[in-house]
Formats: sequence, C-alpha cells, structure tokens
Amino acid sequence: MSKYEFGVSTFILVSPFTDQDVDQFDVAKEMGYDLIEVCIEDPAVVSAEALKEASERTGLPVSICGAFGPDRDVSHEDPQKRRQGIDYLKLCVDIAQAVGSPHVAGPMYSATGKARLLPPGERQQQRQWAADSLREVADYASERGITLAIEPLNRFETDLVNTVEQGLELCELIGRDNVGLMLDTFHMNIEEKNIGAAITSAGDKVFHFQVSENDRGTPGSGHVPWSETFDALKTIDYQGSIVVESFLPTVEEIAKAVSLWRPVAPSMDALARDGLTFLRRELP
Amino acid sequence: MSRFKYSYNAIVYYQEDIAKGIDRVARYGYDAIELVGEPATHDVEEINKLTNDAGIDVSSICSIWFGEERDLINPSAANRQKALDYGKSVADFAAAVGAPTIIVGPSPVGKTEALASDEQEWDWAVENVRTLGEYAASVGINITLEPWNRYETHFLNRLDRAVELLDATGLKNAGVHGDLFHMNIEEDTIHGAFARAGSKVNHVHLADSNRAAPGVGHIDFRPTLQTLKDINFDGYLTFELLPAASNPFAMMARGGHLEFLDPYTEKAINEMKKLEQELWPNE
Repeated sequence: MSKYEFGVSTFILVSPFTDQDVDQFDVAKEMGYDLIEVCIEDPAVVSAEALKEASERTGLPVSICGAFGPDRDVSHEDPQKRRQGIDYLKLCVDIAQAVGSPHVAGPMYSATGKARLLPPGERQQQRQWAADSLREVADYASERGITLAIEPLNRFETDLVNTVEQGLELCELIGRDNVGLMLDTFHMNIEEKNIGAAITSAGDKVFHFQVSENDRGTPGSGHVPWSETFDALKTIDYQGSIVVESFLPTVEEIAKAVSLWRPVAPSMDALARDGLTFLRRELP
Repeated sequence: MSRFKYSYNAIVYYQEDIAKGIDRVARYGYDAIELVGEPATHDVEEINKLTNDAGIDVSSICSIWFGEERDLINPSAANRQKALDYGKSVADFAAAVGAPTIIVGPSPVGKTEALASDEQEWDWAVENVRTLGEYAASVGINITLEPWNRYETHFLNRLDRAVELLDATGLKNAGVHGDLFHMNIEEDTIHGAFARAGSKVNHVHLADSNRAAPGVGHIDFRPTLQTLKDINFDGYLTFELLPAASNPFAMMARGGHLEFLDPYTEKAINEMKKLEQELWPNE
C-alpha cells in the first residue's frame, strides 16, 4: 500500500453535493479510493451529520474543501461581505471538526474568478484584508484542532495568490502555525517556473495536495511532470493525502472560473478510476 | 545558420514607438517582427521604411479579436459584418507591409459563453472564416486559425478543432496556429499536437509555460523544435510573451512588462538558437 491516502473530489462525482448524495461515498470506496473530498458548495443542503454517518458506514475519511463564489469573499472591500466569507469558512471548520477532516482547504483568500489586477496599493489592501480575515478563521480553527490549507490559483482565476511563493507570503502575513498550503498540479503547471522546486520550497507548509492533469483531465494522460512532482513530495516527506480533482459540467458555484468547455476524459467515472490506477502505479 | 525564422510580437512593447521595437528585434538578430492588428494606429510608409532600413521583415499581423464588433460568430449580422470588415482591413494592412500571414480567432478573446447553438456558431465560423480567407487570398495573404486556452475562449481551445474548422472552409491559403502558452494548458503534449496537425501548421507562437521567455518556465522546447523540423514547418517562430495576469494589458499599462522589452527579446532568441545548436550541431 502507498504511504499516501488517495482521495477523490466530489466535484468529479456530483455537483453540488447534497445530503442525498452520500451514496457517492460507496462509489468512491468501490472505485478503491481511501478518502473522499467533499466540497461544501451549498451549506444549506449538506450537513455534517450526513457526512459523518456516510464516513462511518463506509470507513472512508473525509477531507473538507470550500468553494468560494462572490458572496464568500474574505478580501472584499465591503466588511459585510468579508464577514459573510468568514462565517462560511467557520461553518466549514465546524463541518471539518465534526467529520474528522484535518483541514479546510481551498482558495479561501478571495472570490474565485476575481482576476481584476488591482493597482498595487489596493492590492496590498486586499491582501491585508485576506490575512486579517483568515487569521480570525485560523484562530477559530485552531481551537477546534483544524488547519487551513490555502490554494494558489492560476492567473485567470485570481489576481491575489498565483504561485507557491505568493501563498507562503500570505501564510506569513496571517502568522498562524495552523495555516499552510494546498497545491494543485493544474495551477502549478501554468504558474510555476519549476513544479518540483516550488513544492520543495513550501516544505512542511504543504498541508494538502491535489492532482489534476494540465487540461484538468485524467492524471497521467497529459504532460504534467509527474515524476518530478512525486519526487518533490518524497523530498519534503509529505504526510498528507493526495486528491484527484476535476470538474463536472454541472459545477455552479465557480463555473465561470473553471471554464471547462469540452469533455477532458471519456467520462468522469473513467477519470476517477484511471486517475487512481495511475496514482497506485506511480506511488506504490 | 538557423533552421527556423524568428519573429517577436510587438504586442508586449505596448504603446512604445514602433521604431524602437523594430530596432530592438533587428539588434537581437530576429528575421522579422509581428505587428499588432490595429491598422489605424500604424503608418504603413513609416513601417516599410523602418523595416527596410533595419533589414527585417514583418512576419505576420496579430489581429486583435476583441469585443462584439470583432466577433465572426456573433448572433448580430451587423456585428459579424463589422468583424469581417475588420479582418479584411487587417489583410490589407498585411499586404501593405509585406506580411504573409494574419491571425484569425473566430470568436473574440474573453468571450467564454456561446451566444448561439453550437451548430449555429460553427456554421457562422465556417462561412465567415471562408469569406475572410478568400478576401485575404485576393490580396495575397494567408490566414492562420489560432486556438486559445479555456479562460480566453470557449470556441477553439485545441489545435485539432482548428484543423476541423480549416478543413470545413476548404481554404488553400490557410493553416492553423499553435501558441505554446495555450497548448501547455490544453493539449496532451505540445509536440504531439503539432505532429497531428502536420503540414497544416502555418504559424507558431512561442512562449514558456508562464508566458515568459523560454527558460523562465518549465517547457522543454526540444521535442517541439524536433517536431516542427519533422513536419517541415517553414513559417515564423514568433515569440508572443505577455505578463502574468488575466488581463496583460492592464499590467502593461502600469509598466509591469519592462523585462519583456530588451531582456526577454534578447533571451528568447538566444535560448532557441542554443537549443537548435544542441539538437543539430552539424548544421
């Protein structure tokens, strides 16, 4: 068995995920995954109780990640909007604690798709708001034994944190030990000068890891430098899980940001299965 | 002696006097410059004198397909006509400055939602690309169809789709265009996509994975150069380098592109010539 737990994101299985979709835990287990990553797209229709019950029934641990639409923006100029973003994240922390996810992961510093390129002064202000908001969430999470795994996104999805280096700067600005990064190979392929070196530079700040091919298709079917990526995870002695992510065409909360206009695999089912086969082969 | 002809897209020189750009590419050993497709802001006589004096050519015109009036598949017939008129004006501009090729994007950059059915959009694309291509042929110009990444268009994201569109038009003075920045996001492998498009490739935009000069990102250019040699590509390898932002123009407006002037213009061609030397030491 691999030392890593391999997970599948609900963005591949069903979107938005609701309490009625807990049978997807069985699907993930049948596929052979060790873990399921549940994205809290609409908190009104998904509950910690249902997730916990499904997790206990199937024995699959849960990773919690967030989806950050325009009403969940912790760096918005309007303090009311920032408060909404903070409240959403605290709710995600509560769910993470209830279901036993070690973290809440995702691009939580801004609304996904906001790539406006602010003037430097305003950008600094936006970054500060993000740090202040996330510090409050980090303290809340710390009391509950949860970490925050912040995800850099490529230039077309955000103007705030595109690279590992910028992600580490934001962590520094937040200044809390339970704040680190989630890295995603799809974004790194666009933004990093060298993917292996970027992972190594983050070291023990890599709290969570997502794999996706350069076109969001099945890992192993494109040109992401996989051996360099996996070598770097070994170098930093990464202990977390590795989650396969792509997006169903039904994704709503962040549809525009994701911009998937064609099928990137024969089916999403095939993507999940073939992606896992690839991971088990490359990381035995 | 270089195997390929090199050009540099003046788009990243932004609002600089074109004389500076022409001087710069000539100084670093380029064969040509790619000009921005805004005929109204260019003085043809001045450009011809400058390129002639500098001893370089104009490789191509980077048309600016932006906004509904430059949308060859817009639901409004008036807009489609304006887009055609724009494309024709770019072809005339190309002919006037001696550039063999103009770039065509059937749906404008930044438009990521279909405004009509897939079939209707495709039919308009075939019809209008054909009309524009036929006009270009009449003034001695070729067109090249460029796919962009998913964040910039929903319409053509991959080279194989551009080949399909090209074939549907039946044009002889046309080909497809691979831009490595977009291909790094969309294709299974960059060289594989070029190999499949084969002799239909008539223009190339080079950039590293992060759209900076080769060597600044993580693309290995060697398999691509080898494939371009294998498919007998004889067009221009044009560097289209742009700052890291969803809207590079906003970045350039505030001066966030200065390394793209002298430093990257020099580095880009030197990196490729170094790789050519490594791949084909005896030529």
